[in-house]
Amino acid sequence: MKTVAKLLGAGVFAVLGTLPLKAQQLVVWHDLGDNGVKWFEAMSAEFAKTKPGVTVRSLSFPTDQWFGRVISALNTDTAPDLIYNNYERVIRIETQTGKVMDLKSAFAGVADKSFLGEDDLRVATFKGKQIIIPIQRVQMAFGVRKSWLDKNGGKFPDTWDEVKVLAAAFRDKDPDGNGRADTFGMALQAAKPRDLIHMLDLFTFGSGLRHTLIDPEGKITIDRPEHAQVLEEFLKTYSTYKFVSPDTVNHSFGEMYQIIEGGRGGMFRVGDWNVRKWDGANVLDGDFVSGPWPKFAANRPNSVVIGGMRGIAVPENSPNKALAVEFAQFMLTKAAQQASLENVGAAVRKDLDVSKLSPRSQYFAKAEHRLVAYDFPESIHSFYPELEAAFHRKLLSGIANPPADWKPFIAETAKEMRDLAAKLKN
Amino acid sequence: MTATIDAIRRGRIFYLFVMPFAVLTILFGVWPILLSIQVSFTASATALRPEPTYVGFANYAKVFADPIFLASLSRTLIYTALSVVANLAFALAFAMLLASALITRGNLFFRLALFLPVVTPDVAGYVVWRWLYDRSFGALNAFLDIVGLPAFAGLSGKDTAMAALLIAELWHHAGFYMIIFLANLAMRDRSLEEAAHIDGATAWQRWRYVILPQLRPALIINTVYALIQFLKTFTVVVVMTKGGPTDATNFVSYYAYQLFDQGRYGEATAMATILFAVVIVISMSAYLIGERGARR
Repeated sequence: MKTVAKLLGAGVFAVLGTLPLKAQQLVVWHDLGDNGVKWFEAMSAEFAKTKPGVTVRSLSFPTDQWFGRVISALNTDTAPDLIYNNYERVIRIETQTGKVMDLKSAFAGVADKSFLGEDDLRVATFKGKQIIIPIQRVQMAFGVRKSWLDKNGGKFPDTWDEVKVLAAAFRDKDPDGNGRADTFGMALQAAKPRDLIHMLDLFTFGSGLRHTLIDPEGKITIDRPEHAQVLEEFLKTYSTYKFVSPDTVNHSFGEMYQIIEGGRGGMFRVGDWNVRKWDGANVLDGDFVSGPWPKFAANRPNSVVIGGMRGIAVPENSPNKALAVEFAQFMLTKAAQQASLENVGAAVRKDLDVSKLSPRSQYFAKAEHRLVAYDFPESIHSFYPELEAAFHRKLLSGIANPPADWKPFIAETAKEMRDLAAKLKN
Repeated sequence: MTATIDAIRRGRIFYLFVMPFAVLTILFGVWPILLSIQVSFTASATALRPEPTYVGFANYAKVFADPIFLASLSRTLIYTALSVVANLAFALAFAMLLASALITRGNLFFRLALFLPVVTPDVAGYVVWRWLYDRSFGALNAFLDIVGLPAFAGLSGKDTAMAALLIAELWHHAGFYMIIFLANLAMRDRSLEEAAHIDGATAWQRWRYVILPQLRPALIINTVYALIQFLKTFTVVVVMTKGGPTDATNFVSYYAYQLFDQGRYGEATAMATILFAVVIVISMSAYLIGERGARR
């Protein structure tokens, strides 16, 4: 009998002993592609050091699919443990589901977070709820193809006038030396509302202004003199100046990248996430240099733009909620942030080792220039996407039929936007 | 009642075999359509929640008051009419040519060459067309330049974009309609043409009054199918123009898709429902007109 009892006891201990080691998997849905998958794999290995038996599996979807899948999963209680994306996209998930967890107390539980400022936390909060823990600042700089720049004086353009001179040279002086007139001053995009207005956002915020179309009080800004100046020059870039490909009116991100990576655009947007790819031998091979967006007025400092904040969110109906929150907190640790910087090219911590990064990645990692954050009007005005679509439509009509004088066009556009904003508010 | 039960019992094998396909059709065909129609009656902000707020016909009223939608609808109808006529005329002409004695050598090659675009992935085909039209390095403008003709604005001109899409779609779809015509031509009664020939009918009269009436089945099928296809035009717009320039190719499907992108689910599904109704009405009308003509 005693022997049987001993055997039973040993069996119970053996079973209990294995319990803490029971494999547990957290699932994260994101849209960062292969680099994102590698990043989560690296974090999974780090996380397992303190949580043995826990693995983190990430799935990357194209952004459109990510929206649809996350919304339907949260609404049908089949949510993943965590979701990862830009703040404004998580807002849309929260609007459509109301099932994104408030991470205030989870964030309060993070001891080491002094590197996150007030602006970062404001961006993470929507209607009083902290919907993400900020993990990666999305920086966007102004880029110039270095070999072309070197052939034209080598000085990085600081003012808009310098950009115009350089753009004309890139268009007309055969900077790639192939004997054909197949190069453009700039590579921009315009096809969809976000394509065109995003480009305008970069010129606006980068030149020291705020609020591209509408301010937090709901006032239309485009006909304020300093805003109108940027808007007019921006529109001329697509039309009278002929600095971009004539097909740009139909170009979205894919086509814009084809112009940049195909070696036909001289100046372009450089996102911190682009650098790793563009350093590649078969892409730009590091033949670009980044800097702040051009100045439009001597008295306004120019900047690199923080165009977004990516963060981790936990669905209310996450299958392993407590563990998911722990992982979300872990993503701010130095090891996780280092992996973020190395795999995706962005982070929020300032104490990371950047020595292994290329000089172009270091430019972002060290935040070498003044940074200014985009204002996310969609988080304040729920009607903003509709207003932006109308603004886009109006600007494209101007680009298609450029007026002799842009000032009346801008005044007329401002009036139309005011009327529409008032209507949408009501 | 007993008779009905007997009939079901007699046909139980038939119902047994039909059941899986009926279930699949309802599950993956009818149910999503009904769900989409349901969403069109909800407020966009709550549309995808388990308990949405119902707003009656408010989304439909908003859609019909939207001048961009009305312009998009009329643009879709114009594009459909032009595309159906162009595709069917092109397909019929080539089918007649390939079925005639004019092309005997290389007949199979030409059939394959015209049908190949149908099996080519549409996105890949349209990307190549976009490059062909490109104003800075496209082959089309390079050719026009060589022969001294003015450049074609193609996808970036608001007056030419629709025509540019139509040509690309013609390349992609016409081969399919041609195969249907060829099948119908192979089945026609050639003795009627011989009789007409003996009676002194000209080539045109033989085609118009003897061959064409025999092609009615293919004409009906192709017309209905083409109407459905072009009313729903979407992929070519996404790949080549994204609705531009200045809405010149913003057809209903793409406009609804843009609204999805802005989170306006209620209006977007209302548009999809309206388009669905338009497709049903127009294609059924075309079918009935064709059938009535056949009975005469």
